Amino acid sequence: MWAYVVRRLLVTIPTVLAVVTICYLLLHFTPGGPFDSERKVSDAVLANLQAKYHLDLPLWKQYLYYLDSLLHGDLGASFRYADWSVNDLVARALPVSLAIGGTAMVIAVILGVAMGIVAALRQNSAVDYLVMLFGNVGSVLPSFVLGPVLVLAFAITLPWLPSGGWDDFAPRYMILPIALLTLINVSTIGRIMRGSLIEVLSSNFIRTARAKGLPMRIVVMRHALRPALLPVVSVIGPLAISSITSAIVTESWFSIPGLGKLIVNGASDRDYTLVLGLVVLVTVLAVFLNLVVDLMYAWLDPKIRY
Amino acid sequence: MSPRRQPPLARAFLALALAAGAFATASAAIVPPGTQLSPRQEMVRNNGAEPESLDPAYIESVNGAEIERDLFEGLTSTNHHGDVVPGVAESWKQTDATTWVFKLRKTALWSNGEPVTADDFVYAWRRFLDPKTASKIASTYGIYLANGLDVVNGKKPVTELGVRAIDKETLEVKTAGPVSFLPQVVSVAQYSPQPKATIAKLGKEWTKPGNMVSNGAFVLKDWSVNSKVVIEKNPKYWDAANVQLTRVTFLCVEDNNADLKLYQSGEEDFMQQLAPGAYTALKAQYPAEMHNGPLLGIRYYSLNNLDPLLKDIRVRKALSMVIDRDILASKVTADGQAPLYGLAVKGLAGISQTRYDWADWPMDKRVAEARKLLADVGVKPGTHLKFTYNNSDYHKKMAIFAASEWKTKLGLETDMDSLEFKVLIRKRHDGDYQIGRNGWIATFNDATIFLALVQCNSESNDDKNCNAKADELIVQGNQQTDPAKREALLTQAAKLVMDDYPMIPLLQYSVPRLIKPWIGGYDDSNGTDRYRSKDFYILKH
Repeated sequence: MWAYVVRRLLVTIPTVLAVVTICYLLLHFTPGGPFDSERKVSDAVLANLQAKYHLDLPLWKQYLYYLDSLLHGDLGASFRYADWSVNDLVARALPVSLAIGGTAMVIAVILGVAMGIVAALRQNSAVDYLVMLFGNVGSVLPSFVLGPVLVLAFAITLPWLPSGGWDDFAPRYMILPIALLTLINVSTIGRIMRGSLIEVLSSNFIRTARAKGLPMRIVVMRHALRPALLPVVSVIGPLAISSITSAIVTESWFSIPGLGKLIVNGASDRDYTLVLGLVVLVTVLAVFLNLVVDLMYAWLDPKIRY
Repeated sequence: MSPRRQPPLARAFLALALAAGAFATASAAIVPPGTQLSPRQEMVRNNGAEPESLDPAYIESVNGAEIERDLFEGLTSTNHHGDVVPGVAESWKQTDATTWVFKLRKTALWSNGEPVTADDFVYAWRRFLDPKTASKIASTYGIYLANGLDVVNGKKPVTELGVRAIDKETLEVKTAGPVSFLPQVVSVAQYSPQPKATIAKLGKEWTKPGNMVSNGAFVLKDWSVNSKVVIEKNPKYWDAANVQLTRVTFLCVEDNNADLKLYQSGEEDFMQQLAPGAYTALKAQYPAEMHNGPLLGIRYYSLNNLDPLLKDIRVRKALSMVIDRDILASKVTADGQAPLYGLAVKGLAGISQTRYDWADWPMDKRVAEARKLLADVGVKPGTHLKFTYNNSDYHKKMAIFAASEWKTKLGLETDMDSLEFKVLIRKRHDGDYQIGRNGWIATFNDATIFLALVQCNSESNDDKNCNAKADELIVQGNQQTDPAKREALLTQAAKLVMDDYPMIPLLQYSVPRLIKPWIGGYDDSNGTDRYRSKDFYILKH
């Protein structure tokens, strides 16, 4: 298995290179540039700026220059945030996004799996409908509707929590955004868990286990749960990546200084280095989380071998 | 905002004309007698966006400048009415057409206790305009100083810049031509002094909390990117005794709805801007907290004067005549903006407002005249126009209204092209458009800023028109030392150029925002919308 892990980690290098190259070209061919502003920048000043950021070089040279910096762990200087390097910006935003997105994911997985199990075991009962109704509310209501509802309820009508902002990981500022991200994800996980467990429970090996007289609790916990978790594990990777790196609406609505805001501002400001730096980060995270998911497959399903 | 460079004044000048002369007393918070202040003098205001930098040399945006005005103080400053007041300079005078002498106050200190000297200004201005610094806004402000543009363009060394320290407390400034409004110019954040020793020691890190040395009424306490900038009262500031606020938090919330929610839940005292369409309802809900003063800014549509269809002045005039600004202001934008029929906005210094004759005609007569103009040119109903705007609900609403006016009154079809903001401005600057949404807001109060929109070869002239006679009048006006004569010439120039219909002026901006009733020192008549936190105070509540 270790050989598999090393092989997968090595594949990360060409993956990151391919993604960076494509993004690099897309960014440079997008109309509008980092120095376009309401007041037109004079030709001489533009030349100064391009020289400062090496944009006066041919594109292939700029690209090699960027790769060289990347290999040295330097994501470059931001065009938009003049006083900060991209390394600084990512180092400040990543812990914020990890705290919000990561916590929300853990809660969503625990809640979603529990809800899925309850609904599957009480299939087509009032409990099932109630649990799924709750789950589906999170699914059908987009974050830009749920967010304001949460704020109206818990920040304005009942002034228990701040309606937004960030204060150095103070829990009171984190509760509502985590609740929002949890609500969005829990329904997906719950629905998948329910469907998967219902299917597993109708399998021959479960019927055999029940025929042997095992109590339902043992049947579910010992025999049904692990195979039923496989589809859930498949979606955890993408959901975690989007919760951590692309919680754009949540971050914007709650004014959280995370990665989502950097991605949006970076793209609209044509901050080439910032966008590329974030793309590298998301790519590495995606490869890593997919690897974790694959390894969990092997743990959950003994038939899978690497 | 980059007026043409003025030619040197050849003749002898009548010298020793006293400049602004506004040697007002200390310019800090004016707390009316009998006012009861809150024991807690802390304010949270939304500043709208993350500042691009806290280094005065790199500040470009309104949001960045708003924080810099608290951290740094230039030779002059502006108070809560928008008037120029003394800053580090306690007095100044114009000694000839292009020479100014500023006398610095002895009590001005950096936050580390060192005195602020004339050399700090020389260093700062040279660094700001140095091509190696590569400040985006260098040519915009460098244009006013002798050799400023040559320094920015690398044609002359920074030592040739028109600024020198006569002694520690006396600064001499040479301008590129007569700049009667220089005290306005040097009040901008970019012309603040900079701490040479700190910058030399820390490089790019000098603007970080704990590192920054500044000379304004406040010092930097905390800076969390995309979240907030926190500043605290500077005990070393020369006028600290008159500064009421002890702490100010600038949020950088861009979403208008999130801004409102923070205000309603009591997380902030001072909104940046209302969401489009929200003004009427919020004014009814918070009548005592709604402020909406006029801003020195113009909303207009650029007309590409080089376009095959729009190169004929009659077509441009017809398009402008039929847009009903009254309906636009009262029903479409409905947020307190004023209809506009000329280049200059109300409250702009150095120029009088002009207005098209037809602005007072009944609409039927305007439409009939516009149709006649189009018929004379041979433009038939059904002809297509291409309108380009940046994708926001506000601009879309205005664009649909304009297209409907052209369709219903002139029979012209309009193809809408909604673009990302950066793409729109690139297209406008390159002249790659036919009709484009545009807007302009003054960074200081002088007519020059608006005239830059219509001067030949100006970098801000997106319409690509050129009226040489108007340009000549502007040059003549700027050489006048008598303010009345200058105003007359600049007004004449604006009227002349607007009779070419280079653009469609639509509305004068206003700034609708909610402010908590316990905030003192806000003035709705401040057309520059520039405020220093030293002018605010918190009432007992």
